[in-house]
Amino acid sequence: MSDQERMELPAEQFEDAAQQAHASRFGMFVFLASEVLFFGALFALYATYRIHYPEAFRIGVDHNTKLLGSLNTLVLLTSSAIVTGSVYALRCGRTKASGWLLALAIFLGLVFLAIKFTEYGIHFEEGVYPGGIGHFFEEYGIHGTFGLPEFWTLYYAMTGLHAIHMIIGIVLLGVMVFEVVKGTLAAANAHRLDVVALYWHFVDIVWTFLWPLFYLAGGS
Amino acid sequence: MSSPASPARLVFQTWVALVAIAGLNFGLSYVDVGDARIPIALVLAGANASILLLVFMEVRHGSLSTKLAFAAAAALLSILIGLMIGDVALRGAPPIVPPGFPAPGVADIPSHSE
Repeated sequence: MSDQERMELPAEQFEDAAQQAHASRFGMFVFLASEVLFFGALFALYATYRIHYPEAFRIGVDHNTKLLGSLNTLVLLTSSAIVTGSVYALRCGRTKASGWLLALAIFLGLVFLAIKFTEYGIHFEEGVYPGGIGHFFEEYGIHGTFGLPEFWTLYYAMTGLHAIHMIIGIVLLGVMVFEVVKGTLAAANAHRLDVVALYWHFVDIVWTFLWPLFYLAGGS
Repeated sequence: MSSPASPARLVFQTWVALVAIAGLNFGLSYVDVGDARIPIALVLAGANASILLLVFMEVRHGSLSTKLAFAAAAALLSILIGLMIGDVALRGAPPIVPPGFPAPGVADIPSHSE
């Protein structure tokens, strides 16, 4: 049996390839639904603290690195478009183009992480550590004791968890590139790339909400 | 799942829409809109998330079960965050105990063994 024939065959529990593709997609959506609730709890925590400490959260957002965070938004939106292009290319049988687009998306993912870690470095130099540790908090009086520690701890926790999801996404995209090069991923089993792309887009959606809450919604 | 007639054009147009909305959100962050800042920022973020979900994640072409899986998560999340915000925002200050009427301590609570 050739590699092409093997790729076109569904796993034994499925009647055909279309059913297998649907099951893969549905399974990923159920997983993403659980991820929605995971991040949702953290967003609910953010809402609670923001209601308790509105002024401290405004100070925190205004102090954040807005330009770097916004640049990361552009990087991530572009990577999502490129991953979608890669899925379409694979479905059309343009395997090589799909592989190159995936490599470009991985590069953009690494750029995102590099910018993110640069941000963390800037904050560490300013004395902003999780848990309200650092000389930054001493400069803001009562807000440095109540509110700002919560803001920055949530910032590190939520953006850090998002960064971990980014790393997982980059690894998954890397596996797809490896399979394209190896010849085990093609139009016949494009649903495998489809589910990885769903994960990547979801990580983008999470950032879509992290960005305004931690970088934009400050004071005037 | 049906593929669009011109995938490259669709991807490019969607990307332009996403960047335009993000740019609007970024620009509005420099405008003083008072307490409307967070709702405006979240509505624009929601618009971008919807585009990503419908176009790039192809939910608009998806099966009913797929749509329900995500809709259920969104509905449960709305209940979680909505109730939490409602509780925290409307809870108010704790009741003030007037002088001479101390709040009952553990020792004041009658025990069944007495």
